Amino acid sequence: MEHAAEHHGHAAPVGKTYVLARFESGEALVDACYKVREKGFETIDTHSPYPLHGGDEALGLGRSRVPSIALAGGLTGMFGGYLMMVYMNAWNWPINVGGRPPHAPPSFIPITFETTVLLASLSIFFGLLALMRLPQPYHATFEHEGFRSAVNDGFWLSVALPPGSDGKDAAALVSQLGAKEISTVKESAE
Amino acid sequence: MAAAEHAAAVSGADALDTYPLLVGKQDNTTLTGNLLAHVWARPDKGWLLSFMIALSGSGALVLAITVTLVEGIGAWGNNIPVGWAFDITNFVWWIGIGHAGTLISAILFLFQQRWRTAINRFSEAMTIFAVMCAGLFPLLHTGRPWFAYFMFPYPSTLEMWPQFKSPLIWDVFAVSTYFTVSVLFWYLGLIPDLASLRDASKSPIQRRLYGIFALGWRGSGRHWHNYKVGYLLLAGLSTPLVVSVHTIVSFDFAVALIPGWHTTIFPPYFVAGAVFSGFAMVMSWMVPARHFLGLKHVITMRHLENMNKIILATGMLVSYGYLMEHWIAWYSGNQFEWFVFFNRATGPYRGVYYLMLFCNVLVPQIFWFKYFRTSIPWMFIASIFVNIGMWCERFVIIVTSLHRDFLPAAWDMYYPTWVDITLFLGTIGFFSTCFLLFLKFIPAVAVSEVKELNEELRHRPAPVTVVTGA
Repeated sequence: MEHAAEHHGHAAPVGKTYVLARFESGEALVDACYKVREKGFETIDTHSPYPLHGGDEALGLGRSRVPSIALAGGLTGMFGGYLMMVYMNAWNWPINVGGRPPHAPPSFIPITFETTVLLASLSIFFGLLALMRLPQPYHATFEHEGFRSAVNDGFWLSVALPPGSDGKDAAALVSQLGAKEISTVKESAE
Repeated sequence: MAAAEHAAAVSGADALDTYPLLVGKQDNTTLTGNLLAHVWARPDKGWLLSFMIALSGSGALVLAITVTLVEGIGAWGNNIPVGWAFDITNFVWWIGIGHAGTLISAILFLFQQRWRTAINRFSEAMTIFAVMCAGLFPLLHTGRPWFAYFMFPYPSTLEMWPQFKSPLIWDVFAVSTYFTVSVLFWYLGLIPDLASLRDASKSPIQRRLYGIFALGWRGSGRHWHNYKVGYLLLAGLSTPLVVSVHTIVSFDFAVALIPGWHTTIFPPYFVAGAVFSGFAMVMSWMVPARHFLGLKHVITMRHLENMNKIILATGMLVSYGYLMEHWIAWYSGNQFEWFVFFNRATGPYRGVYYLMLFCNVLVPQIFWFKYFRTSIPWMFIASIFVNIGMWCERFVIIVTSLHRDFLPAAWDMYYPTWVDITLFLGTIGFFSTCFLLFLKFIPAVAVSEVKELNEELRHRPAPVTVVTGA
């Protein structure tokens, strides 16, 4: 049963439904977020051309996990880089260059620094993509043509509806909060 | 928000600043329009002509590389004792030029310098292309670039590992890390703007192409939440990285025992020189670009003047480096060290030396005066001089230190061959080709950041109370 549902994950009846609502300004959108959440809609998101002032709090988001990911990457790079050099130059194949000891800590610092930065940066970048679930070429919100303004000059609220809801209550709520353009979109069956 | 109030907030933003950060009354719609306009516009004759010239330069580069690969390094003017010449000069010069991009995008970001917003995209792109040009030279100088992968630590059947105590291997790690991190940082910053291009485009092909690179960005608040932190952290990591890269480049020289190279002042002196030449290069490109792309309202005189101030400051640091180098050479009492500096000023390459002093020490001094800091022709000419001067500096450091070493019997002169010159000019062509393509297909200004800046300026407190601006 569960397996069957998973298999038909992209079929029309199971597709997610969203109510989209455009607000006049970033401030209006942030205010609306608080009020929509008060009414019990927690699966909401904002869409704006730049990060909204106070947007994180309005969505009830906690601390980002990115710093921990970066730290893990950085530490891996640091120890990995240093131990790599110790293994290669001091243990596996020691070469005497200018009488310097095979394990020469000062000479290993520059590369240790570089591998730290490299792995930290790579983990930030790919960690971010993973957290944001990008690349995601298709998203139900793209079904509404007007939503294209979200990355240019529009301030949109999206409410992901629970299964079985037709979204009338959510649409009524955002309309009451002053939304200028309201639309209900369904994930495409394709 | 009343329109009049907005206009007042933007134009009169700061009582103590003569020039605003954004000219005129802008909102998200107008900014989307005018910052993306140059991407939608058909290439004009000026662009096409520049592109043709740049493309010919890239062709010359391919030719010079081919000759180098077929004939070997013997096609260059390098000899013994001058084993490093044009190639390493060009390498250091290009890497240095890249550093301004990281400085503007990362360090000024951490210091919350608002004026960086309009110019960071532009200079980050420059970093990437400059590092590409830089990397080419040591690669070709290995003589067998097809074995370049030997420098990376991989389990080879030769059972040999790289020699990690060599600054040249440090360089491999520094430059490749720098390139990778610069690309990631640039691309991360681009994602919202690529989405903006996708959704502002009129044609389905553009929509699809920009859509692929935008990765499905939809300006989600849950995304911005992590994105902001990730961007800040990348800026934080790029800051020490940029300092480390030119420090390590300077180690190529400072760790060697050649008089004229073996000095502890090299790392800071190289980093200052890198920023100096990088800002000059940004200036040389920005002055024409803001004119031709219609970006004068976001890249204002305020930006240009601030950049000129940085050119002056780093120029003074570089001059201090020259002074200290000469002082230490004399004060050390080491006759070989002193001879190198004496030889730079009086030897056969003295012309390059005096050109360097003129361009790097004298020319930036004009920026003490506001007239020159805000005069477009003067700042453009000065930036070209600084570019030339910094190239001469690298030539002076490398070639004059090598050509007359410890034993007069081993002395020799270095003269570049046509291959050397074509390689150098070819990289300028390649750089320009990449840059012109960038200016055509990608917004030259970080659109989403400028919109955010516009929003911040709108919410600024009353003009009189704000003292700090730039």
